[in-house]
Amino acid sequence: MNCESYEDLLGDYVDGARAADRPGDERLAAFERHLAGCAACQALVADFTRIRGMASMLEEHVPPPRLWATIAASIEERRRNAFSAWVPVAVAASLALFIAGATWLAWRHEPSQGPQQAAAAVEPGAVPVEQHYEEAIAGLQQLAESQDASLDSETRAVLKENLAVLDRAISESRAALADEPANALAQESLLDALDTKVALLQDTVALATDTCSLLNAAADAEKELNQ
Amino acid sequence: MRTADLELAARCRAGDADAFEELYRQHARRLFSLVMRMVGSAEDAEDLVQEVFLQAHRKLAGFRGESTLGTWLYRLTMNHCLDHLRGRQAKMSRATGSFDDEDAIEPVAPAPMVPQAISRLDLERAIDALPPGSRAAFLLHDVEGFEHREIADILGISEGTSKSQVHKARLKLRTLLRR
Repeated sequence: MNCESYEDLLGDYVDGARAADRPGDERLAAFERHLAGCAACQALVADFTRIRGMASMLEEHVPPPRLWATIAASIEERRRNAFSAWVPVAVAASLALFIAGATWLAWRHEPSQGPQQAAAAVEPGAVPVEQHYEEAIAGLQQLAESQDASLDSETRAVLKENLAVLDRAISESRAALADEPANALAQESLLDALDTKVALLQDTVALATDTCSLLNAAADAEKELNQ
Repeated sequence: MRTADLELAARCRAGDADAFEELYRQHARRLFSLVMRMVGSAEDAEDLVQEVFLQAHRKLAGFRGESTLGTWLYRLTMNHCLDHLRGRQAKMSRATGSFDDEDAIEPVAPAPMVPQAISRLDLERAIDALPPGSRAAFLLHDVEGFEHREIADILGISEGTSKSQVHKARLKLRTLLRR
């Protein structure tokens, strides 16, 4: 066989493959026999081994510290955009549910309401989950307020406005439930508004935390550059 | 390894900024070095590595752990590099030569041998002169230390093609370094 037919094996040989370690590999054994008597292949093996050795010792190029700061800033910007797009949708969905619940309640106040419907209704004031929401909201609100300074004024204004809309929806749901405590749809509307508020506060806290991390990363990068 | 990768990917997907920074710190140096050698310019390398990590951030939801996070990142990186080089070549509007310019590979020639002492700079310059396809395989194999099956996965080629590309790269380097 000629030298070219051993091209793949010559590469394997340079990478450390030996017939002694691969019993039964007849091609590799044949190549080693060929190599022993072929000056051209011996020269190739020597040169390739030298090139491989030098290549493995090439130094790493170090990325500049600003690279991470730029990447982190881009991710943050994308997150903010996604967040801004999400909030109006969530508020709109919450309001739609509230309106549906309120409409249904109004319909229920019509004189056609029968005794069977009242009997099937849930016990008055039985919204056990609501308390969990209230506790979660209180904790998150405290956390969000403590990190409020991390957010820019525009974001703070959007959040405040959306929280006010949700609070109005919650108050109105509660007023409707005060009139008719057993109404399942009104309860659902209230819980949905509470759920949306929890999600909004969670995102607020996450956004504030990320902003803090980003500012710290940028400060570290600047410090590193100045050193 | 895979479990750690999946956990890190899950943390990144959950919006954990520290987790994504951890991913960056684990891989940025090697990826930046690879991109520098692929495109030959620090400015382009910065832009490309930035694009790779932003794409990784978007695509992490699709990471299922079939390969390691490292291999997955290398795949994104090499796709970006090769696209970039194709774009650059298209801009140059060269009428002759394919993207991988097979004609540039010289046939096997016996002595003289590559000098015993090759300077790092000479080797870097010679690597820069390789056609993109064989440069990619050579960098992944001889510089980064990947095995041919891993290179096949990263570049979307067969193991045999990876071996052949590395062989061609070594032949070309041999010629360039003997001058």
